[in-house]
Amino acid sequence: MEDLKNSIYALKTSAGQERNVARLLARKANESGVGITAIIVPESLKGYVLVESSTKIDMQNPALKIPHLRGVVEGKGADNNGNIISFDEVKKFLKPEPIISSIKKGSIVELISGPFKGERAKVVRIDESREEVVLELIEAAVPIPVTVKADQIRIIQKEAD
Amino acid sequence: MSQKSCTSCKRITTKERCSVCNNPTSSNWSGLLIIIDPESSDIAGELNINLPGEYSLRVR
Repeated sequence: MEDLKNSIYALKTSAGQERNVARLLARKANESGVGITAIIVPESLKGYVLVESSTKIDMQNPALKIPHLRGVVEGKGADNNGNIISFDEVKKFLKPEPIISSIKKGSIVELISGPFKGERAKVVRIDESREEVVLELIEAAVPIPVTVKADQIRIIQKEAD
Repeated sequence: MSQKSCTSCKRITTKERCSVCNNPTSSNWSGLLIIIDPESSDIAGELNINLPGEYSLRVR
């Protein structure tokens, strides 16, 4: 295990304001030297930003008076160092797995954008290198293959029965 | 001006090419990482980042 100097804290923000809070926080950290070394805004974690800091995050600090910043998540500590979030947990956010790897042939998916938004479809082919899937709309009378990007679909059922 | 991420070093910029490594940029990116102090940051060390700035977590 590598030697870690910093702790990672989770800060609660208003939904949809994560990037704004992170950028303001970065500016404040540069000006006042709060000890913040990095800020992570994972796409999969709505309403929170993760902050790596060499000092304890204190919400009473005037440098942390930022609009849409709701507070710091308090906890007992997940690892032995008393950190709220362990570094291994953060690593998962740093290298997000592409959505396409969780899609299987025969999965039932819902299209979330494009002309077929809201339609359900079955996966017939997966192109991993281009991150595309070929779908067949379930409710269509004639099965027509539709090619969409992997981020335009949401998985409803992992595998067809 | 929309923000884009370098396809190689993941740095966020508004230009067509990355100002650091000169690789093409992409507007299809997600996740934001701001490195303030790369020397003392464990996260920057993990991702081999040695310049402060904004980075994406995933770019296509």
